[in-house]
Formats: sequence, C-alpha cells, structure tokens
Amino acid sequence: MKRRVRIAGIGTSHPGFRPWHRGSLARAVQAGRRCLADARRRPADVGLLIHAGVTRDHHVCEPANAAYIQHRLGINVEFQGARTLSFDLGNGGCGMLDAAHILCALLQEGNVRAGMVTASEGNADWRGKGKPPCPDSGAAVLLELSPRPGTGFGSFAFHARSEHADMATTVVSLAEPRGRLLTRRDPGLAERWLEMAGPVVDDVLRRDGLNRDQVDRVIPAQISPGFLARLPGAIGIPAGRVCDFSADLPDTLSTSAFLALEREWRLRPPVTGQTILLLAFGSGLTAAAAAYHY
Amino acid sequence: MSAAGKIRIESLGAYLPEKVLTMEDLLASCRRRPPWDLERITGIRERRVAVGEYAVDLAVLAARRALELSRYQAAELDVVICASISKHNGEDEFHLEPASAGRIAVAIGAHAARSFDVVNACAGMMTGIHVLQGLIRAGEARCGMVVSGEHNLPVTRTAARELRHRFDGQMAALTLGDGGAAVILDAAPGPVGGFHHMELVTGARHDHYCYSRPSRRGAGGILVTRAHGLQRKGNEHFPAYLKEILDRTGWTLEDVDHIIPHQVSVRGIENSARAVERYLGSRLPPVVRISAGLYANTSTTSHFLALHRFILDGTIRSGDKLLFVSGASGIVISHATYTFDDLPGRYRTMWDEEGRQ
Repeated sequence: MKRRVRIAGIGTSHPGFRPWHRGSLARAVQAGRRCLADARRRPADVGLLIHAGVTRDHHVCEPANAAYIQHRLGINVEFQGARTLSFDLGNGGCGMLDAAHILCALLQEGNVRAGMVTASEGNADWRGKGKPPCPDSGAAVLLELSPRPGTGFGSFAFHARSEHADMATTVVSLAEPRGRLLTRRDPGLAERWLEMAGPVVDDVLRRDGLNRDQVDRVIPAQISPGFLARLPGAIGIPAGRVCDFSADLPDTLSTSAFLALEREWRLRPPVTGQTILLLAFGSGLTAAAAAYHY
Repeated sequence: MSAAGKIRIESLGAYLPEKVLTMEDLLASCRRRPPWDLERITGIRERRVAVGEYAVDLAVLAARRALELSRYQAAELDVVICASISKHNGEDEFHLEPASAGRIAVAIGAHAARSFDVVNACAGMMTGIHVLQGLIRAGEARCGMVVSGEHNLPVTRTAARELRHRFDGQMAALTLGDGGAAVILDAAPGPVGGFHHMELVTGARHDHYCYSRPSRRGAGGILVTRAHGLQRKGNEHFPAYLKEILDRTGWTLEDVDHIIPHQVSVRGIENSARAVERYLGSRLPPVVRISAGLYANTSTTSHFLALHRFILDGTIRSGDKLLFVSGASGIVISHATYTFDDLPGRYRTMWDEEGRQ
C-alpha cells in the first residue's frame, strides 16, 4: 500500500492592505516563508515547487512564476548541490488541488522527498479605482510522505463541464501598453458550480471508500456567502460541518480553499482520526475535491 | 529501473503552418533594420508562421495527428496537459484561464480526460512529460497527451516594430517560429523502448536572463533576452548534467544515435556542442540534429518538430537511442535518455501514405 502524503506546513498571505507585500509574487513569497517556518524545514529541503496562481505581476508569462518564487525563497537557486525543479500549473481556481495531486504522485514515486505548492493572486494593473477583480492573496503548503500510516491525502476527484467554459475567463489584453487584465464572470457561474459540487463529492467519497457521515469538516473555496449557504444542500452534508468564512474572507481564486484551511486549523486544530474534504471550483468549468485524513 | 516503470512515446503529432517567412523578409519588415546578418549569426533561414490560427489551434491540429497514429481513441485519454508559453488565443489577447488544455481536450473529443496547463518556458513539454510520467507510474493515469501550440508571431512583430539599436534585448524575438506538437504517452510494454531517465532542474538565481511580458511602449507582447549571458550560464552547467544522465543510463556518447537539443538557433546549438566537447575533452560524434535552420525556435515544441523532421527524412529509425537536451529561461536545464520502439517506422508510413509534407 502506498504511503500517504501529508501537509507538513501551511502558510498564507491573507487578503488585505499589505504595502510591503503587493502583487502576486510578494504574496506567494510571504506565504512560502510562513509555510517553511510552520513546517520547520529549510528552503534546501524543497525538491519540487509548483506554482498554481492565475495572475502574474506585470503579466510576465516567461519564465515560470515558480522560478521567481524559488529564487526569492532561496530554494537551491544554484546548479551546485541539492536540486529543485520549479514550474507553473494552470487550472484556474482548482490549480492548487491539481498541483497537490501531482506532487503526491511524484512524492510516492520517490522523485523528491518534499515539495511545495504555492498559489497567489495579484492585480498587476489595478490603479486603485473601483474594486479589484480579485484581492491580493497567497497560500503555500509543504507536502512530504507521512510518517504515520493512514494520515494525509486520500483520493482526489476532478470534474469538468466544458460546455460552460466561457462563463469564467481571464485574459490579458495586449492592445494597450503594459497589458490590461480582463476578468469575466457570468452571473450564473455559482449555480453551475453548485450543480458540479454534488457529483464531485460523490466521486471522491466513492474513491476513498467513505460515506458522508465519516466527513468531519468540508473546507470549500469561499466563493460567496450565497454560494456557501446553498453548498451544504448541494453536497448533502449538514451546514454545521461546512466551513463558511465568507463574511470576512472574500473569494481569492486559486488560493481560496487553502486560506480557508489555514483559518480552520487556527480555529479548530486537527484531531487525529478525523477526515476533511477540500473543495475548489474554477474556470473551465472545473470542480475538484480531495479527502484528507488527520 | 524496471520495464514496468518506464513510459514511452506511443504516438507523435506535429503541425507546421504553411506560410514561410524568411529571415530576409522578416528583417525587411523591421522599422529599424538591425545591422547584423542575422541569418549568418543564427543559422536560421526561415520559419513557419501561423496566419488566422492561434496557439490553441496549432495544438489541436498536432493533437489530432498524434491521435491518427495512436492506438488510443481520444475518449481513452486520461490526462491532457498543455505546455504552451504563447497563449495568444485571440487577436491581441493572452489567455490565462480557463486552461488551454481544457479547450484542446474538448476539440479532440477527450471528454473523459483531466486537463490542465504546465508552464515552464521552453522546457514546458519536457516538464509535462515528467508530470505525466509521475501520474502513469503512480497509477493515476493509464495514458495521456502532452501537447503544445506556439504562436510566437505576435512577439516577433512587436520586436520588428520596437527594435531600437543593434544590442536591443528583443533581438532574439526575431529567431522565433510557430508550430504545434503533441505526444501520447503510456507505459512501455517491453524492457527496451521508452524513457530511461529524465532530469530537470531550475537554477533560479539566473531567472533574469530571459523574460516575456506585455510591451510598455505599445501594443503586443515582448520577449527580452540577454542571449550571451543565457548561453554562457547554460554552457557552464549543462554539460555536467548531460554526463550525469548518460552515466545513470549506462551509456557513453558513442551509444547515442541522436542528440535532440532545444532548437534555439543553429549557431547556439553549435556553441553548446563545443561546450560539451570542452567538458568531456573529446569530439562529439556527428549526432546533433538541428532543425532550427528551417523552423527557427518554436519554443516548447522544438524537440518534437525536430523529431518530426528527422524521422521523416529517415535519419531517426526504430530502435535508435536519443538524448534530449533542453535549456530554458528560469534557467531550466533538462535532459532525457530515450530508446525508440517502432514509432519512427509507423510515423513515416503514415505520412508517406497521406503524402503530407
């Protein structure tokens, strides 16, 4: 039986005014530093870094944002000694769970001993007028093989409904100097995500051999208060077990589920034997779920 | 490594747009023509350019060709990974989400496939193969596709408009070309064929040598490269990795039938070959395959467009041993050792039957 992969540390950069941490890169680096401190690991321990954010400072598309993050975190930046591979993974709001799944596979194959998944969002060309399309934020988790059997990530499930792919898009318009971020969200988007939530939860529970009573907490992306009010009904799990921080935690796209996880762990520290479900929703349209066992 | 752990390229697809743009025509279109003889300096005579087709279209056309040759139907693919850098999927538009891989999966009918993008500069397809290898070995996927379409022409056009002087950082954008490539991967059925070893490493201290972003002076995207620094730094380090992966595979240079480098430019590849010779202290056999003269630098797709060319002309044959070498901004250095099964023969037969170029 494969050893499970556990979250050894988590770090976040919550939305809010941070004059010294403006932009996608700064948020990812802040989250990454806190994650390393939380895991009590050295930067050199990270053998793989996957960055899953959607937006980038100055809309830079090359090199991978992960390379900049690796450099700023001081993770094996030279070609001598310990080695790190870093790259970006793009899948909208589900990117961080996609990256976690890939990192789990590579850890279990013995390719690396520890890896980090980061995500961050920033508004590269927002000039402070009106509401930014997505608040600046960052999240990072450090993953490694679990020392205890049964603890860590269980199954993952990824669903897509491509017929609604145009309901959520983010494009950089190159028609003007420096580019312009154009974000489009269809008003019916939350309704489609709610339709996808039930099947993706069914799928992950079936893969993991669980029933709904065995799920102690559900940590969803904090899409909106209205969405979270309807989510328990959509997934068939009582509202008391679904984390809702949407009153003061806005939707932050790729980082949202892990910001909620960090908040949940601060309020209710993990108890051995419990099981949680992480839920994320993104463009495409995609829905992702992961079971995690404490 | 056991045979069960190896993955192989089950099918290959390539797409080159029909329109040819010569270096001379490109230089003539520059607002301020560079004083250099770029054709001599780079060895790039021409490139293919996509007109009326965007990056995702090039990827879809390559993916369909890979499926034509594959024993898998699109509906059987478990994963589709898109590795494009240049997500120019609309006029003056660079797409961040949804993932291009999702659009490609739908276009080719891979409705059951999980799809996401992997971005790692010119090492993107090699990184995608590394990721898919992990998913196949972990039992999370049986087969999957890594695909890329590169529509670099908008960046080249910006450079033609904005070049100001002979040492302008955008000069390297004049060495780019367009194209699409796709590979379908699955577990190698036998002990001989497939990827033996793959090594990718990022030396992030050198992330400043090459970057791409929107222009600050007008419309369009730009690619800024400190080409000499990038090549010098890459040549300092990659020969050691090359030697290491050959040692791990149990090969010497004499065992390698073909070295497939990232097709940055003809002269750039020749410089890198000399760096390997200096490091090893011996002459390289004439096995370095260069397609940059005809297709230019097609970013992530360049290794596989080189395979396309050298399989079709009969240079690469079934059973041949290959060494993939890649350098990318970041700086990312990647190497892979690979032995072909019967794919070159099947590929040639398909293209001969259809009479395509």
